Amino acid sequence: MITLFMLVPIALAGYLSFTDWDGLTPNPQGVGWANYSRLLHDADVGHAAVVTLIVTVVGTIACNAAGLGLALLLNRTSRLTAVLRAVVFYPYVIGPIIIGFLWSAILGANGAIAHLLGNAGHSPLPFLSDPAWAVGSIVAVVVWSQFGVNVVLYLAGLQTVPASLHEAAHIDGAGRWQTFRSVTWPLLAPSVTVNLVLVLVGLLRVYEIVLALTGGGPAGRTNTFAFLILSESFRSNHLGYGAAQAITLMVVIAALALGLTALRRRAEDAVSS
Amino acid sequence: MKKAKALVVTAAALLLTACSSSGGFQDTGDAGSASDAKLRLLVNVTPVLTKQFYEDLVKPYTDAHPGVTVSIEAPTAADVSATLQQQLAAGSPPDLVSGSLGRDTVPQLTALPEQQWVKDAPYAEQSRVGGAMWQAGSGNQVQSLVFYNKAAFAKAGITTVPKSLADLTAALVKLKGAGYVPTQTSGEWVTGAQVQMLGNVNVLNTAPDWFAQRNENKTSFAGSPWRQVLETYQGWVKQGLTPKDAMGLKYQDAIDQFLAGKSATFVMGGWFVPTADEAKKSFDVGVFAVPTLDGSPAPVAGNPSIPWSVTKSSKNQAAALDLLKFLVTDKDAVTKELKAEGNFRKGFDYEASALNKEVAAIVSGAPSTVVASNGQGDNSAPTGYNDEFNKLVQGLYLDQKPGTVLKSIDSWYTSNAK
Repeated sequence: MITLFMLVPIALAGYLSFTDWDGLTPNPQGVGWANYSRLLHDADVGHAAVVTLIVTVVGTIACNAAGLGLALLLNRTSRLTAVLRAVVFYPYVIGPIIIGFLWSAILGANGAIAHLLGNAGHSPLPFLSDPAWAVGSIVAVVVWSQFGVNVVLYLAGLQTVPASLHEAAHIDGAGRWQTFRSVTWPLLAPSVTVNLVLVLVGLLRVYEIVLALTGGGPAGRTNTFAFLILSESFRSNHLGYGAAQAITLMVVIAALALGLTALRRRAEDAVSS
Repeated sequence: MKKAKALVVTAAALLLTACSSSGGFQDTGDAGSASDAKLRLLVNVTPVLTKQFYEDLVKPYTDAHPGVTVSIEAPTAADVSATLQQQLAAGSPPDLVSGSLGRDTVPQLTALPEQQWVKDAPYAEQSRVGGAMWQAGSGNQVQSLVFYNKAAFAKAGITTVPKSLADLTAALVKLKGAGYVPTQTSGEWVTGAQVQMLGNVNVLNTAPDWFAQRNENKTSFAGSPWRQVLETYQGWVKQGLTPKDAMGLKYQDAIDQFLAGKSATFVMGGWFVPTADEAKKSFDVGVFAVPTLDGSPAPVAGNPSIPWSVTKSSKNQAAALDLLKFLVTDKDAVTKELKAEGNFRKGFDYEASALNKEVAAIVSGAPSTVVASNGQGDNSAPTGYNDEFNKLVQGLYLDQKPGTVLKSIDSWYTSNAK
């Protein structure tokens, strides 16, 4: 099954990345490393890489900070916290395309916030019309849609911290911050690793929200790497070049995920020892 | 170890199978029977051209041909072209396809017969690639119109419709003074499409085969009237004649703004007519042809409406061609197709709205017709041109100079032209 559903598609993408296939002709022609060489000099690829980097770095930090913060607040049992846990997780189960359209109706130049500001006598804010604001809007919407799962994972991690250690810290006179820093945080190391890797990999592949929220605009300034792969492959019929981009992204994701996991291993080892 | 080896061998075998199989890329499908076939139609679905519309469209044909069944398929990817691409790769292409298809799709299509009914179909002649016709339209879709708010024009003291782009700019300035957003645009595909509508009539009026010339590097965007068109458009942006937040608007927002009476003009194709007719509005909508740079009578830029092609790998070639003939020649079917989007075809009349009659008058009064958007057949731009053009033209809203934008378009075009 792994061969059929993972290795074959990857191998096929690898093969296509060395061709000029347009998706319509029956026999792709080999082009050697030309697609990879083009990728290195393509300004659109460079720009998409920068946008993806911003979304990934800022999004990963924000998702984890918000996820951990809320998990700490909701780490108690009451009806209210049960409801709040469901509420924060809810965006995660909505399809990203729906989320994109929903937020474009809120942030768009003709959207809900613009109307509210207009009624109050203010000019609308350029959430989606200014490139910098549009990238910021994408990051905010991505974080809103993703961090619910981080809350749940951090809550699960917090359940594994023995209450006796908190009690011992309390008896020793440790304050809340000290207890968190010296007891909770080190024991959350495995959860932190899982959350960081999951969010990182997810954000490097952000596509649907960009499609529905900005469509890559204005002027292609919010194109992420995944968005570029799809538009290059199916809008311009450059499936060979798109495959080269996809293989590159896959290698980057694998390298970053493995690197981050290796970096986190020391923190995790400290917990287990 | 043995298990690992087996996996590698299996993977290699599957890969080879995948690579050696050409999926739906067959040389030629079977002729099949014209009276007994199951036909699959991949169609362009829009708010007007719904799945139900197509089902109603083919019903008279299937009623008259009991052995033929037709299933309508909407695109499952970004558009018809991308869906066709996926279906070809998956080995299950449709029999007929309706939508905007690039030149690189031609190897997957059946050449239409050199018969009069094909030649008479709109834009069939223009669809020729390598001498053969590949696509037949049901009608002519006009793509070089300026819809305007008659009340706004009256309030701004504009008594005659603009004849040149300079006249139009002057009118837009007056409309701004009268308190309107002078001309409506938005992000998405709209920015590029509108600039193409302004440009094509001014570029192709003197060089109808301009895209063919550009494909052979005999001309360039930077060295053609595109420069004046883009300079004019950037002038509009700088003078605040387009919405300040245009790039944050979607196509539907642009329609809503115009029909709400907030903006005074809207450069758009003829498909906007049914929407404008059906909307509740407090003003009358008028229409005039996109003006030329020098004020000379403007040609009409058009595309085939609901164009049909037969896929080469269809196993029902005869039945597919017979249905295509019905769709582009049957009086009732063609009229239905024309009426749905407010399109035109000589000899096929229908009860038109006042606005549609104004468009018809523009078409009949135009000195010539030129291809719209990215062109047709040999006289067309490489696949991806519309998206790239749109992306680069949006740069005008980010203070890029027209010369820089045109240089980028030329650079993209040169590296993508085949």
